[in-house]
Amino acid sequence: MSATLEVTGLSSGYGQTTVLRAVRFSADQGEVVCVMGRNGAGKTTLLKAVMGLLPKTGNVQLEGTEIGRWPGHRVNAAGMVWVPQEDSVFPGLTVREHLMISVGREIDRGVELAASLFPVLKERLDQPAQTLSGGERKMLGIAQAFIVEPKVVLMDEPTEGVAPVIVEMLVSAIAGLARRAAIVLVEQNIDTALALGSRAHILEQGSVVETGDVNDLHSRGILERRLAL
Amino acid sequence: MPLGLPVDSFNVIVLAAVFVLVAVGLHFTFGMLNVVNLVHGELILIGAYTAFQIQQTTGNVLLGMALAVPVAAIAGVAMERGVLRFLYDRPLDSLLATFGLAVIIRQVVQLVFSANPRTVTDPIGGSFVVGGFNIPWWRLVIVVSTALAVVGVSQLMTRTSFGLHARATVANPKLAEAMGVNTGLVRAGLFAIGSGLAGLAGAMLAPINTLNPQFGLLFLVNSFLVVILGGTGSLRGLIVAGILLGGTLAVLQFMISTIFAQIVVLAIAIVGVRVRPLLGQTGKARRQRRLRRKRG
Repeated sequence: MSATLEVTGLSSGYGQTTVLRAVRFSADQGEVVCVMGRNGAGKTTLLKAVMGLLPKTGNVQLEGTEIGRWPGHRVNAAGMVWVPQEDSVFPGLTVREHLMISVGREIDRGVELAASLFPVLKERLDQPAQTLSGGERKMLGIAQAFIVEPKVVLMDEPTEGVAPVIVEMLVSAIAGLARRAAIVLVEQNIDTALALGSRAHILEQGSVVETGDVNDLHSRGILERRLAL
Repeated sequence: MPLGLPVDSFNVIVLAAVFVLVAVGLHFTFGMLNVVNLVHGELILIGAYTAFQIQQTTGNVLLGMALAVPVAAIAGVAMERGVLRFLYDRPLDSLLATFGLAVIIRQVVQLVFSANPRTVTDPIGGSFVVGGFNIPWWRLVIVVSTALAVVGVSQLMTRTSFGLHARATVANPKLAEAMGVNTGLVRAGLFAIGSGLAGLAGAMLAPINTLNPQFGLLFLVNSFLVVILGGTGSLRGLIVAGILLGGTLAVLQFMISTIFAQIVVLAIAIVGVRVRPLLGQTGKARRQRRLRRKRG
């Protein structure tokens, strides 16, 4: 039986510049697969390429269906969502409108689901999303992923740059989401990776150089060494 | 001067409406999609000549005006799908492409209809008197149509899922695509609306002008001035800019001269473009301070 997400031989980049070289990984429902690496290793590029936002070669299979040539909106419709690290909101659109893009006419259900995860969002429904704090933007991004009940979530450093108390809330929400979906988590924070992750792939210069159980990689000091901590 | 009024006050309103009408289509293609759309004038031309041709063929000018909108919209979508969609991230190339398309369309119109002046009949005729001035009913129709077009597109952008998807696509196309918005379709839709509105403007303005293949160029510069001064992407700003520039032109060309009026309009646009961002920042800073206070 095929994995929920199966990526093989994935190469991608920007224009003439190749960033990813023959990357291979998989993720199953119920697990959080961490993608780790130093700045510039190609982690964000990997998520964008899988999501159909960059030109690429190689294969991307979602529940056995090849989606590697599909545009982003079709990949999304098939059940994969992306929670970006930066530029995660639409300037000029309110929080409610962000949720409407995800769920359309089922906005009432979407609002309730989002509020069940992060109650503060209900107080901000009519607020332009660009005026939210950094932590609230992360909450909105995760809530948008949560309310569409996805098969795969591609998450780019969701806890980066937010207060510890918010990190706890985000980690708890991601753990809840992981029970129903496969999560590919780009993360540089080892504590967050250990709290959420099962397996980890370490990227260096666009290639996977280490793969294994997160705790095992940590206990052998590989995470620390590869991330130069 | 009738009733001692300094200007034909209704004509000020008409010219302001014309400025808004010719610019509202450009609001979509240039203001929202960021394509320096030099073919906008030729989409106005297509609308005008569609009205003319249908009038010649069927004798029904209103039918011609109704068909001008879809004909211009289809022409716009054909250009967007065929050429411009590959150039969204290449502004200089898209400028060159729209310039080339504009020249081609003008030449084709000249080839088909010749350079001879053509006229489109005023569909309703007659006039009414305001402040001692005779106002053709058709000019009132232009003002009302402009108001309806602005209200219509405003409602479309704020109350429909297409409008929501369009605003998301304009704000952050990659994120919109990843959230399930077919951004290619949305961009084609925006181009269709912008082109259709240009066609409407051409058809509506044809009865009060003489048509020739250069007809669209009459409106191109003023359309850009209105959209740039109003702030790209801002429908409210576009209306204010259209009224300011069109109104100023009408008043000054009546009181002094057309050339002087056009110089002043250009000067207002230049000063306005310099000053507007400063006003915008002030307003934005004020709103953000208010929000922070509200959130404690």
